[in-house]
Amino acid sequence: MALLEIQNLSFTYKGADEAALKNINLSIESGDFVLICGESGCGKTTLFRLLKKQFRPNGELEGSIKFNGVPISELDERASVTEIGYVMQDPDNQTVTDKVWHEIAFGLESLGENSDTIRRKVAEICGFFGIGEWYHKRTSELSGGQKQILALASIMVMDPSVLLLDEPTAQLDPIAASEFLSSLRKINEELGVTVIIAEHRLEEVFSMATKAVLMDKAKIFFSDTPKRAGQRSLSLYEHKIYKGLPSSLRLFHALGGEGDAPLTVKEGKKFISENYRDEIKRIEQVPIDFSDKNKAIEINEGYFRYERELPDVLSGLDLTVYENEFLCILGANGAGKTTLLKVLSGVKRLYRGKYRLWGKKIREYSGVSLYRNNIACLPQNPKNLFVKETVYSDLLEVAKLLPYNKEERAAAVEEVCLKLGIKELCNKHPYDLSGGERQKAAMAKILLVKPEILLLDEPTKGLDAYSKSEIAAILKALQAEGKTIVTVTHDIEFAAEYSDRCAMFFDGKIVSIADKVEFFATNGYYTTAASRMTRPMFENAVTVEAAEELCRLNGKRKDND
Amino acid sequence: MRLGTRRRMRLGDAKMRYFDRLHPLSALVYFLMIILIAMITMHPVITAVCYLTAVIFCGMLIGFGKLLSSLAYSIPLMILIALTNPIFVHKGETILFFLNDNPVTAEAILYGANASMMLMAVFYWCRNYSTIMTSDKFIYLFGRVIPKLSLVLSLTLAFIPKLKRRYKEIDEAQKGLGIYAGKNFTDRILGKFRVLSILLTDSLENALETADSMKARGYGLKGRASYAIYRFTLSDLAFLIATAVFGVGTLTFIALGAADFGFYPSITPINLSIQSCVMYCALAILGFVSVFCEIKENLIWRYWKSKT
Repeated sequence: MALLEIQNLSFTYKGADEAALKNINLSIESGDFVLICGESGCGKTTLFRLLKKQFRPNGELEGSIKFNGVPISELDERASVTEIGYVMQDPDNQTVTDKVWHEIAFGLESLGENSDTIRRKVAEICGFFGIGEWYHKRTSELSGGQKQILALASIMVMDPSVLLLDEPTAQLDPIAASEFLSSLRKINEELGVTVIIAEHRLEEVFSMATKAVLMDKAKIFFSDTPKRAGQRSLSLYEHKIYKGLPSSLRLFHALGGEGDAPLTVKEGKKFISENYRDEIKRIEQVPIDFSDKNKAIEINEGYFRYERELPDVLSGLDLTVYENEFLCILGANGAGKTTLLKVLSGVKRLYRGKYRLWGKKIREYSGVSLYRNNIACLPQNPKNLFVKETVYSDLLEVAKLLPYNKEERAAAVEEVCLKLGIKELCNKHPYDLSGGERQKAAMAKILLVKPEILLLDEPTKGLDAYSKSEIAAILKALQAEGKTIVTVTHDIEFAAEYSDRCAMFFDGKIVSIADKVEFFATNGYYTTAASRMTRPMFENAVTVEAAEELCRLNGKRKDND
Repeated sequence: MRLGTRRRMRLGDAKMRYFDRLHPLSALVYFLMIILIAMITMHPVITAVCYLTAVIFCGMLIGFGKLLSSLAYSIPLMILIALTNPIFVHKGETILFFLNDNPVTAEAILYGANASMMLMAVFYWCRNYSTIMTSDKFIYLFGRVIPKLSLVLSLTLAFIPKLKRRYKEIDEAQKGLGIYAGKNFTDRILGKFRVLSILLTDSLENALETADSMKARGYGLKGRASYAIYRFTLSDLAFLIATAVFGVGTLTFIALGAADFGFYPSITPINLSIQSCVMYCALAILGFVSVFCEIKENLIWRYWKSKT
């Protein structure tokens, strides 16, 4: 008997016209690692919430969900708390108490365990997750990655048999995300706990899963082992989610591979070297030359620190951004990339060094002139911008800042909504939007002040592949209009695909800056999966498309080669 | 790099202090006892002992370098308070000189000196209290009495830093967009109002998620327990008993009149009867036991280090 048996499940929220889930059939065995993917709003979260008794939303339910043969709604309250664990997306919001030890003990306290049992179990869990070093710390002092591991640990301490994780790595940087996923793999492999995870970043998690489920518009679209996702017959590849699939799988499919698909860089490498020749090493191309363009931003020997006693965050920074370019600044977490954006946007000032904007010193921009038709910064969390009840009134409010009359204001809002395709979102509350929609609404808000230079702090964080490509399209369109775009990001694949130049930020400086292809082709570790996969056969295949082109140019290997 | 930072942090945290290991109950009783004694009488010997132990103990807890910089402020303040008293109070027999036709007396000066020393004794003991009795110890002690209260306190203490961080983020986001970034007063007020309004909506939204996280972990089930990492050991008991014996002893003698002392009209001689001497000793032991415990902790460490 399956551990979780979902049969003919349909669900409609109270007051909603359309069903959030339609005819879902899914059977999950004990020890499975199930990956559920799909664009935001496809019903993943609804499905997850229906699986946890405490979270069941109000609405009309058809079909059945059985856990060990017992319908979820009839599960004993206590059993449903301990047996089914639920980890949410935001590391901050799911932290309840002020101390790490208390956070881990919280669940066991609720269950009324005695102190000795709690002490023993907490000790075991801390050992398993390596929490010992920060056991006595305040939860507010932890990094995002640590908080998410803590959230996982404080669920695992109750010894669940199923773990539900709703986009647990969306708010984490790539290194923390991969640490989190390896903890998850450990739980699955060493303890045999069933894992059901919803994710957007599939590069790593896809190969870990025993079953991949793709959801589309409230239905299950594909449900099989990940290896079989490479089959040609599948319409998976016209799907919106396609870009989110692992690079090796996309390349395999694009080249018309047969049989089991490669899921990791290692397997992808093997696939290329076994099947394709490598006489043509590189695609020749001329990088865009910016040297004759105007300098939009120029920083010489910039130094910045927050407090006198604290170390420099920017130390000897040199950076030139040319007019109308799309620059991506990459770098490790906590390296100071966000600080750099604060300095660029004039929120913080350098204590030493020169910062010129359009050749004029930043100090000479008085009052708001820096922010009118000049420079604007989109923060990492777009929620930080919204003030009003609806997107429309929020946009109108910003338009008031500019010297428009009433009609011009409405026209400006109208124009920007059309441009970003957010017309239908206008009457919604900004908090009810999905991640991608919210990012677009925030972008609209910024565009209303008509900036020439756009600074973006991780615009693709937590977004699904489709929303990402939408944001990218908007940015490209803005660039075509003549805007200059500077983005700070962790998203290597995004940078490799859409930017003009990429820069590596490390130790308070820009350590390398180059045309994107050259940048990623020279980087050995900090580069795209496609580049890692095609090396040393090809020299500059930094995107899946480039890799595909090179494979086709070279042609297939003959058996006697 | 990650491991490096973590390890550094741990080294920084791990300052060896006896009172950190002491059970919160013993520590709380100790601090309450000595602060009570320091406040209850104006006897110069008692005040002096309380002040001296407070300052030395403070040095042991926060380091003598930091203590010196704190004394640089507190000693001039003490002198100032001592000198203010005779300006307003003209009681006392020993007139030193006249200031604006008002007598300045030796008794009034000494009274002021004693009062300011008492004030500083209480100040430094309170400071020591707050160094040792961190929020989680306080929560633990009072959570015993009212379990719900301890959870609420813990939730609040977790919430405040989140709120602070969000405020900063939102404020900078608004500035980066140049909304109400003008220098004039109305712009600034409106700007702050916006930030607070966003903060409120956002916090309510986030609180819902936190509530979900609590529910997911069984909050609301019957028979909730309260777990704490502290254990009451024999040495905690010994410390508690010693505190009780010497503290209650001192208080009893004070109640019996062994610490009666007057400044006006003339200063009474310091009582050297057997009763009073026993009281001085009891208080000295009570005051210095904290200092000794810290010294002992250091010595044990040095000894152990020299043997290995």
